[in-house]
Amino acid sequence: MIRLENVSKVYGADIPAVRDASFDIPKGEFVFLVGPSGSGKSTLLRLINRQERPERGNVWVAGRNINEMANSQIPYLRRTMGNVFQDYKLLPNKSVFENVAFALEVIGKPRHLIAQQVPQVLELVGLGDKEDRLPHQLSGGEQQRVSIARAFVNRPLILLADEPTGNLDPSTGEGIMSLLEAINGTGTTVVMATHDHRVVNAMRKRVIQLDRGIIVRDQERGVYE
Amino acid sequence: MIQRISYAFRETIASFRRNVTLSMAAVITSAVSLLLVGATFLMQRAFDNLLVQWRGDVGMIVFVRPDVTPEALKFVEQNLKSQPNVIDVDKLAYLDKAASFEEAKRVFAGDTTTLSLLSIDTIPSQFKVVPKTTDPELVRSLADQYRTLPGVAGVSLAEDEFDVISTLSGFVRTVTIAMSLVLLAVAVILIWNTIRTAIFARRREIEVMKLVGATDWFIRVPFIMEGLIQGLVGAMVSCVGLWTLNSAWTSGVAGFKAGTGVSSLVVPDSYLNGVMIALLIIGATAGGVGSGVASSKFLDV
Repeated sequence: MIRLENVSKVYGADIPAVRDASFDIPKGEFVFLVGPSGSGKSTLLRLINRQERPERGNVWVAGRNINEMANSQIPYLRRTMGNVFQDYKLLPNKSVFENVAFALEVIGKPRHLIAQQVPQVLELVGLGDKEDRLPHQLSGGEQQRVSIARAFVNRPLILLADEPTGNLDPSTGEGIMSLLEAINGTGTTVVMATHDHRVVNAMRKRVIQLDRGIIVRDQERGVYE
Repeated sequence: MIQRISYAFRETIASFRRNVTLSMAAVITSAVSLLLVGATFLMQRAFDNLLVQWRGDVGMIVFVRPDVTPEALKFVEQNLKSQPNVIDVDKLAYLDKAASFEEAKRVFAGDTTTLSLLSIDTIPSQFKVVPKTTDPELVRSLADQYRTLPGVAGVSLAEDEFDVISTLSGFVRTVTIAMSLVLLAVAVILIWNTIRTAIFARRREIEVMKLVGATDWFIRVPFIMEGLIQGLVGAMVSCVGLWTLNSAWTSGVAGFKAGTGVSSLVVPDSYLNGVMIALLIIGATAGGVGSGVASSKFLDV
């Protein structure tokens, strides 16, 4: 589903963010990217959704080399992916329903489909009764659930999560993780960047560890260390 | 499709409301600049009318000395009438001293020095001659024929006045066009800045839109429409202003006597309508281009 071949990304003159990274993530896998802040986890995610382009190497998503894709094709690539962030990135003046519906509106989904799919996905993330709330009326965990609902509402092939539990207390974080696991269970490939030991150690999934932009470990059923 | 259009309209209106002050500034600047552009066109057309009328009505004036003998006067008149091939005899007019003095008072209304030198006794009487040809060379040679006749004080060609007027109108045109271009540039920059501010205000929303796979055009269109509407509204305001100015001018000019020149300083309605349509197109294009450039510059992936 996702394949990196000797990918390098350099910011500025000589600050390497990712050096010679190669890995292969099959469809339906759940992968943790771990490592300290600044080790290149977020950059890897941004290379996969093509917010960044590598200086060297190739990134393949669903069988297509995305570095060779025309800019006009990128929106369609992104429709096959969901993104979840540490700071949720919800629109503060839109309700829970509108935030999720927004993701479908801007890709031109017809209204009756939106009216059908949004309540379904909100039910799935456990917010069926909070459709009309505004983000600031929700707890952090609930806001992250809205953001996951928005990422998943279009049934993406891939879900990219950048420190989704970073702002949450451990028990709330556990709830988010079981939600991501459930989404993974529907066949969606999940790639999650984190430095949360507890989460990684509890799940025992594949772990790719980065250190200053270099992949130092790639282990099935790994722990954080 | 309808959903996308309604989305674009909603976003445009919402954005307009978020930036009322800046939007108003952009609208007013484009209105003022377009009003100037329009006024330039109308003034130019009015000048042209005047010139055409002068050229058509009077080609040449033969001034007769104030102390001319009746015989010499008669000779000049007969001479003029004897050339119906070159001179439009029907339009030939003789202004005696009294009439010439009246005309001088009007022509030199702002020039008291010249006026004080003239009196009913010292003023030359004049023949207003309309040549049948409009070829300046032929008219000049015609004038030369009369300069040497006894009793003739001089011959003046309307061509000379014509040159003054066309130089003047050319100057006015250059200045007003330059001013309106500068103002138009300012309007485009203001629209550009409004759109930049609007994009900045919505950068979070735009980031989300990109991540969920909205196409660039989907994101861009509301901003382009916003700029286009700003330009168009500015143009509409300028049309109202231009129409009002033109009506006031036309009714003011209507008070002057026909044939005095001033009364020809009006433009036909069809021309006014054409100018207004041009202003609407210029306004919409300038606004659309300004915001299009801004939105592609600030919305890069």
